[in-house]
Amino acid sequence: MSLEQFKNRNVGTQNYVKLDLDHTPTSGWCQFKQVVKRTFKPELFVGLWVTLREMINALFRGKMHTTQYPFEKLPISPRYRAIHDMLRLLESGHYRCIGCGLCEKICIANCITMETRYDENQRKEVSEYTINFGRCIFCGYCAEVCPELAIVHGQRYETASEQRASFSLFEDMLTPIDQLNLQQEYQGFGAVSPNADENIKKTPLAY
Amino acid sequence: MMSSKVINLTIDGKSCSGNAGDTILEVARKNGIYIPTMCYLTKTLPIASCRICSVKVEGVDGFILSCQEKAVDGAIIKTNDSELYQERQNIMKLYNVNHPLECGVCDQSGECDLQNKTMEFGLDGQTFTAQDMPRPVQNWGYVSYDPSLCIMCEKCVRVSTEITGDEALKVKFGGYSSTIENVKQEANYATLGEAAAVCPVGALVDTKFKYSTNAWELTKIPSSCPHCGVAHDVTYEVKNGKIYRTSNQAEFTTMCSASRYGFDFANEGVTKDEDAFKLAVEKFKSAKSIVFAKEISNEEAFMFQMLKEKMGVKLISPEARAYQKFMRAYSSITGKLLNSGTLEQLSKSQAIMVLGTRINDDAPLVKFHINMASKWHRARVAYLHPIVDNNIKNIVTQYISYAVGNEEAVTSSLVSYLLKDVDGIDIDVDLDAISSEDLELLRKSHIKKVGFSLVVSSDLYAHPQAQNIAKMIALVEKHTDINVVVIPPAGNAMGVSLICDLDDEVESPSIGYNAKGDFTLSSFGGGDLDVPALNQQEGTLTSMTKRVVPMNVAVEYGGYVLNDIMNALGFSAEYTIDYTKMLPNDKGFRAVEFDDLPDHFDMQGIEHRGYMLEEVEVKADGVVEKLGNNEKLNGAVVYNCNPQEHFSALTAQSKNLTSEASLVGSEAFAQEQGLADGDTVCYTIDGIKFERVFKIDTSMKGAVALNPTFDMGLSSALLSSYRFSQVDLKKVGS
Repeated sequence: MSLEQFKNRNVGTQNYVKLDLDHTPTSGWCQFKQVVKRTFKPELFVGLWVTLREMINALFRGKMHTTQYPFEKLPISPRYRAIHDMLRLLESGHYRCIGCGLCEKICIANCITMETRYDENQRKEVSEYTINFGRCIFCGYCAEVCPELAIVHGQRYETASEQRASFSLFEDMLTPIDQLNLQQEYQGFGAVSPNADENIKKTPLAY
Repeated sequence: MMSSKVINLTIDGKSCSGNAGDTILEVARKNGIYIPTMCYLTKTLPIASCRICSVKVEGVDGFILSCQEKAVDGAIIKTNDSELYQERQNIMKLYNVNHPLECGVCDQSGECDLQNKTMEFGLDGQTFTAQDMPRPVQNWGYVSYDPSLCIMCEKCVRVSTEITGDEALKVKFGGYSSTIENVKQEANYATLGEAAAVCPVGALVDTKFKYSTNAWELTKIPSSCPHCGVAHDVTYEVKNGKIYRTSNQAEFTTMCSASRYGFDFANEGVTKDEDAFKLAVEKFKSAKSIVFAKEISNEEAFMFQMLKEKMGVKLISPEARAYQKFMRAYSSITGKLLNSGTLEQLSKSQAIMVLGTRINDDAPLVKFHINMASKWHRARVAYLHPIVDNNIKNIVTQYISYAVGNEEAVTSSLVSYLLKDVDGIDIDVDLDAISSEDLELLRKSHIKKVGFSLVVSSDLYAHPQAQNIAKMIALVEKHTDINVVVIPPAGNAMGVSLICDLDDEVESPSIGYNAKGDFTLSSFGGGDLDVPALNQQEGTLTSMTKRVVPMNVAVEYGGYVLNDIMNALGFSAEYTIDYTKMLPNDKGFRAVEFDDLPDHFDMQGIEHRGYMLEEVEVKADGVVEKLGNNEKLNGAVVYNCNPQEHFSALTAQSKNLTSEASLVGSEAFAQEQGLADGDTVCYTIDGIKFERVFKIDTSMKGAVALNPTFDMGLSSALLSSYRFSQVDLKKVGS
């Protein structure tokens, strides 16, 4: 290539294609028009196709993959040690705790306090029972030592509260009497989670 | 006493020695050989209801109960083999028939004999059955009884009968349905706490304590009783800074009801109030006298004595002062600082005379010993007092009533009777004081009796003629082998009287220590400066058994103590107990560090608590004088007397004790004074104003009313006069 070509500054005679560009917007209105014109083009939907497909599957075909927390919660393992539950006797509705004090004694964080007394029915009554959840390390010894399966670890793992006292009293941990039929029996140590079957998958050995 | 001939026998191949009269079990225990027992209680006679202690004696068929069989010289005994093991295992199985499996909530769990022995005999199954029956729990007031837990060992019945003498508990026989019953339920005796203390299972427990905590969680703090004057062993059982109950070595010793239940008198929530402390130090510097209650430790009393020596303050403690004067007169005859009578001797006596005390209320532990003598040796008990006491009619064989104020004449008459065989004694005798019939009856009851005891107490101390009475009684100790027991007033009056040089008159400005003064230090609250109560400080007490015993801290105390004031006044001791070794040697105290004081009982039940006061010789230059004239008391006469479970303002602090303080009189008293049941009256004794509800007790006789003083708070320590006083009763209100 010789230098002549470059030295030829006669634009009109060469093989240029003129682009059909809009005029650079000069006013605000023109700028707006340009944005709208550029945004709404069918190509958008080409790009969003996968997303739209999954959305339709999730919304209309029942193929949702996300858990709608906090409206929906995943089942947790019965081995999980969350806030304690105090269970009731199914027959009488009376709380199971007999006030033996073993949980208080075994507690290594020293967070359980209980007081008992001789009540009008000449039985041992639990007059005070509190767990200081600021100190509780959720070790599970209390549930393990309980001879009556009265104190167990429940499923309530959301321990955010305005004040600790709101879930540390005996009455708060006790199964509400009107929900006695919903009381979950303690499965025992080593129990598998309720959705354990679903969680079984083939070992990925595709190679 | 029984001559102790030594016998030798072989137990399990080991040659053992014991005294003639010992049972096989006693010999075995002395020689460190273990024989299991369930119903055996050292302090009572053998009960022999459990048969666990069976042993084999060579040459004798069948099993022998080692608890009640006397050991014979040369016997060869086997305490354990497979046959005996089988027998014991079967007994334990029978005990466990239908025994509720509620150890988790049972109060006795962790210190239960049934649990221990069930484990010991390896019971892994039950071969016996019986149909169970409904057996409701019974609430008897201070104690409650669960028949389904009861194993019918009868320990409680024996304690109630042989030791405390309330005789409330009886066995209701009926095979499998046998139970213990409380035949005096409405009386609600606090002494049933002693029966509950020996229960091997959780059948008989203190109602207040029941189900409040687990026994095995309590920290045991050994101490001594500050209430009753015997300073017997008390163990405070504490959890989280709170006393849940008290216990004792129930196998060997017995507690007064005040200690059993009245342990909640601590001065709690006190912090160091510097201004009050500075003021107190100022007040001490300018004080002319210190008034104090007799419920203080030896060390505190010693501090006051040092203050007296350094600053010349007067020390006032009226009851201890009266006792001190009495004992000085007493020892001026005997030549010994203290009387030599013992409670142990008292419980072995066959004839007992009680003079000048309402013994059941004043000194329950002494009454227990009299009861033991009555039950074990069928002792004849003569009770000389103006007021008949219905609570002890089961042990008293002869009441000798005398006029109020006539103690001196009565003493002279009794002493001359007791000294009738001794030559060369010539005392002025009022022959009319005790009627000749009474004396004749007394003489008859003493025929063929050996082991005499004379018990005297506080009616005599504040009597105008107290010194002469003391000298006459001292003659009995000096010239006969009669066991003379002089009961000091309750609290630590004995320690105070030995350590302090007490004075009679208060001089202003005064400091009150648990008593009312111009500036008051109080452990009851309401004083100008708080001081710790007796279960919040270390120190020693002097017991009427002449023992110096340690007290330990059961409840934390955050304020100033007397030692801080002493240090501010120029003394220097890091702790109060630094004074323990400095207690006066010339009064029998020994130079022992507080931390070196022993505090336990050995396997035979021999007490190793603190040390015994040494015997001190004094000059015997006293002379018995002529009888004085006594004033006749007319009109309304009241007798200062606390109920059995109360002694002082200290016990009044307790919420566990029932503490209704009312003036109690007979129907005759009510009629004479124109009072009706429930009237409120007011009167004054020693300048202390009383306002009380009057109650009629139909079982009482005579024209003297009983006036409790324990609830008078800081004032109750100020009562100083003769216990009988003539008062001007004024009705309050309508």
